[in-house]
Amino acid sequence: MNNQQYITAYYLDDDDLMKSVKHIREKGLSINDVLTPFPVHGLDKLLGHRRSYLPQVGFIGGAIGAICGFYFQYWIFTEAYPLNFGGKPFASIPSFIPVTFECTVLFAAFSMFFAFLIRSGLGLGAQAKIHDEKVTDDRFMVIIPIDESNRQDSINHIEAVLNETGAKEVKVNG
Amino acid sequence: MYVSPVREPLIKGKKDYNKVTEDITAPMAGKPSKYWYMGIGLSLLALLAGGIGTVITIWYGIGTWGLNKTIGWGWGITNLVWWIGIGHAGTFISAILLLFRQKWRTSINRSAEAMTLMAVTCAGFFPLIHMGRLLLGFFIIPYPNTRDLWVNFNSPLLWDVFAISTYGIVSLLFWYTGLIPDLATMRDRATHKIKKAIYNLLSFGWTGSARHWSRHETLSLIMAGLAAPLVLSVHTIVSFDFATSVIPGWHTTIFPPYFVSGAIFSGFAMVLTLMIVARKALNLEDYITVNHVESMNKIIITTGSIVGIAYLTELFVAWYSGVEYEQYAFMNRALGPYAWAYWIMMTCNVITPQLFWFKKIRRSLIATFIISIFVNIGMWFERFVIIITSLHRDFLPSSWSMYAPSLVEVALFIGTLGLFFTLFLLFIRAFPIIAIAEVKSVLKSSGENKKHSNHE
Amino acid sequence: MEHKQFQFNNKVIIPSVLLLILGILAVIGALVTDIPRERIIANLHLNNVYFLAFALCGLFFVAVHSIAESGWHTSIQRIPEAMGMFVPFAGIIMLVLFIFGKHDLFHWTHTDHLDEVLLHKQPYLNSTFFYIRFVVYFLGWGLLGYALRKNSLLLGETGDIKYFNKQRTFSAIFVVFFAITSSTASWDWLMSIDAHWFSTLYGWYIFSSLLVSGMAVITLFVLLLRRMGYLPHVNIEHLNDLGRYMFAFSIFWMYLWFSQYMLYWYGNIPEETVYYYERLNNFENYFFINIILCFAAPFLIIMLRQMKRIPFVLGITSVIIIVGHWVDFYQLIMPGSIGDKAGFGMLEIGLTLGYFGLFALFVFRALSKAPLVPKNHPFYKESLEYHTNY
Repeated sequence: MNNQQYITAYYLDDDDLMKSVKHIREKGLSINDVLTPFPVHGLDKLLGHRRSYLPQVGFIGGAIGAICGFYFQYWIFTEAYPLNFGGKPFASIPSFIPVTFECTVLFAAFSMFFAFLIRSGLGLGAQAKIHDEKVTDDRFMVIIPIDESNRQDSINHIEAVLNETGAKEVKVNG
Repeated sequence: MYVSPVREPLIKGKKDYNKVTEDITAPMAGKPSKYWYMGIGLSLLALLAGGIGTVITIWYGIGTWGLNKTIGWGWGITNLVWWIGIGHAGTFISAILLLFRQKWRTSINRSAEAMTLMAVTCAGFFPLIHMGRLLLGFFIIPYPNTRDLWVNFNSPLLWDVFAISTYGIVSLLFWYTGLIPDLATMRDRATHKIKKAIYNLLSFGWTGSARHWSRHETLSLIMAGLAAPLVLSVHTIVSFDFATSVIPGWHTTIFPPYFVSGAIFSGFAMVLTLMIVARKALNLEDYITVNHVESMNKIIITTGSIVGIAYLTELFVAWYSGVEYEQYAFMNRALGPYAWAYWIMMTCNVITPQLFWFKKIRRSLIATFIISIFVNIGMWFERFVIIITSLHRDFLPSSWSMYAPSLVEVALFIGTLGLFFTLFLLFIRAFPIIAIAEVKSVLKSSGENKKHSNHE
Repeated sequence: MEHKQFQFNNKVIIPSVLLLILGILAVIGALVTDIPRERIIANLHLNNVYFLAFALCGLFFVAVHSIAESGWHTSIQRIPEAMGMFVPFAGIIMLVLFIFGKHDLFHWTHTDHLDEVLLHKQPYLNSTFFYIRFVVYFLGWGLLGYALRKNSLLLGETGDIKYFNKQRTFSAIFVVFFAITSSTASWDWLMSIDAHWFSTLYGWYIFSSLLVSGMAVITLFVLLLRRMGYLPHVNIEHLNDLGRYMFAFSIFWMYLWFSQYMLYWYGNIPEETVYYYERLNNFENYFFINIILCFAAPFLIIMLRQMKRIPFVLGITSVIIIVGHWVDFYQLIMPGSIGDKAGFGMLEIGLTLGYFGLFALFVFRALSKAPLVPKNHPFYKESLEYHTNY
């Protein structure tokens, strides 16, 4: 990251963005990031992002929750403090199910939420690098890294490609 | 994605993305109107009444309520169940409708989910105050203590503790997940320094990066997948509070799905009551259209009819079972001293929503508003009827009794209404009440000025 | 996209007829050996109800999706519609069976020796009223199913908005009628087998069973037709959705199963628990296999999105669910009707396969009578172009 420089440019329509991203990729440029005001479908496929592993994280979290929740109740009623309730067996499995279920959901939701925050570097106090305040409104911004070894050529090339796509406000950013 | 021209647009007027942002954030800019001040004044007054009721209950004890030895659960539990039920619409809209890909949910999910959180807060208050000593409320949490005692995991009341707290937490996470991008929008639009700093903190450093969006969508979907069974489980467990007992009128297997259906029914009614006013007051009529109202009314009639069928099933099986106690419980409901409550319930829940079979009524805002209030009342009476009529005539005729709430109980109920509306009024000032990003994502396919884009 | 007309030719007739013959042979085999007559009747009843459930699920699927104005299902809706065409025939075979075998199935029909409880129930559980209800159900389902199908074909051909609205009206009527009759019919044909026992949830429980097993059958037919080269537009997204339905409804079924079981277990009242006592002591294998096949297996197999997108896995899961719910119906019917005379052998397997052949013949014939896709349906294009992101 440090002093890597970027060229940013934006579009005003998601369809234009999609076409341009395709075009830019075809020209062999790498795209560092695309900032959009709402999730644009099919964009991650174009950018070559793989699917997130969040579901798997949730599954593992849920499984841990289920096992812990169930075993906790089982341990209480068979070891810690066995009590007779209405003549039912100490390990009365049907009545452990509701709490086990709730623990499953709770653990799964927690693990996914925090996995999401950690993986994306988001959280309380995280500072966003704001390239353009309208990105959260109606601008779709592409960020293209400059090849430092051949700086001026790279900038010219990128600008040329971006201008072909009709991008607005093409500029070099630190 | 292609959308058939047969479908009505979900967003009216010629809008572009910027206009959407402007429209939805407009209510938060500038000073609140005098109606807002009147509203919050009234709500705070109601909250104050609740505060007084709370102090009296804690100072003198539960004896200040109208309960007696036969009827141990009065308004307190009625209100608990009513509030929890109201919360269900939010999760239903954002989770189940998301899974069923109903696009109309995007305009109402944010505020409905917020109502979920507020309703759960109000609901959670009642069991805590019903225990008499609010400060010892933490006893319900299993924690290692010097007496080596644990809570009773065989008790449905404890399942409730887990269900309601899980529900509250997961709803909060779900709601906040959706809110993060919109808070970033607020941050970028804020001009005041302090406001900007606060929204900056709350938006968790959101930039709108494609990677984040992709993960964010996955997260929302899986959370929806989790929230869908969760919302079923919560009211199911509330119904277990009653149905696991062997009290006639309570011990019936249809309770779990029937309670869930009733909860969604009442939740939608509350969403409609508030949104019909809010869309007008906040100039959001282009986003929450008559089409949205009609869709919600369709859910009301579906869930209302399910509730109606459940009532009839209960009546039939009470006869069919041949159990005389069961039969008496239902006779007593319909014809006993609380028959007035039973018939209010029947009228409001089973008959009035049937008016929605007529398209004209379904699409009339005034009619919808009135019927939604009827449903709110009816569903409150449903819980009242279930709780009071099943308890007040015990197996022992010598303990038969009647119940009327004391002023303190009424004050507590009014207090939670005050809390709910206070929170709602603060919410509409602080957060965008429509999910901006989500509306933008359906704008092209479902807006009025549909450009038939060719996604190949 | 080119759409072939479904051909009702030997390629589909021969396997179906072979299965049907297998079923007939199973019955003949049972008749000549010493298998008790009650067992044959109970098995016929089981399959009558089970295959009727598929047919009803088909109609319900179409109706509910038209009310909800869903778009994605339109390109496969001919299959559930065709399944619905089995309803009238199911009514006939059911009626015949009831006339000849009701004494073996329902002990409340032995009016000469009824105990106090059953005498109390006589206003509902008597043969006359039973047959009246029977006729009402089948008239309603049959006529509404016919109307739905006919109107849907017109809509698919013309794309006229008039038929679109009409379809919604018919669907609403069907759903309301079905909401009531699905409960009462399951009381009549299944709950009254254990005539003393009762449960308010019973009708909804059967409904959930019907929903998930019917969905599995729809999936199976979609996969089958795809293999045979029809329905080229059905892509992985449609299958993903069907898979999600099976997944969700399996959980829903488990939820209702648990609600009923848990409340009776917890309440522990003898006249209620006797139902589970019987099943846990004399039918314990079926009891547990039922839960594994109907919940645990589908839950674990198609939980992940990737799995729902493999046609083979989806096919296997559908078969597991169909077998699982057959076991479900088995343990609903057998303990109360024939008790210790119940068994599991060639008769059960053969007869069920025979019904499959019969059912498939009806579905294939109905499919061949109309275009496979409603090409002018207002939502048809939506169904072709949609993609799921999850």
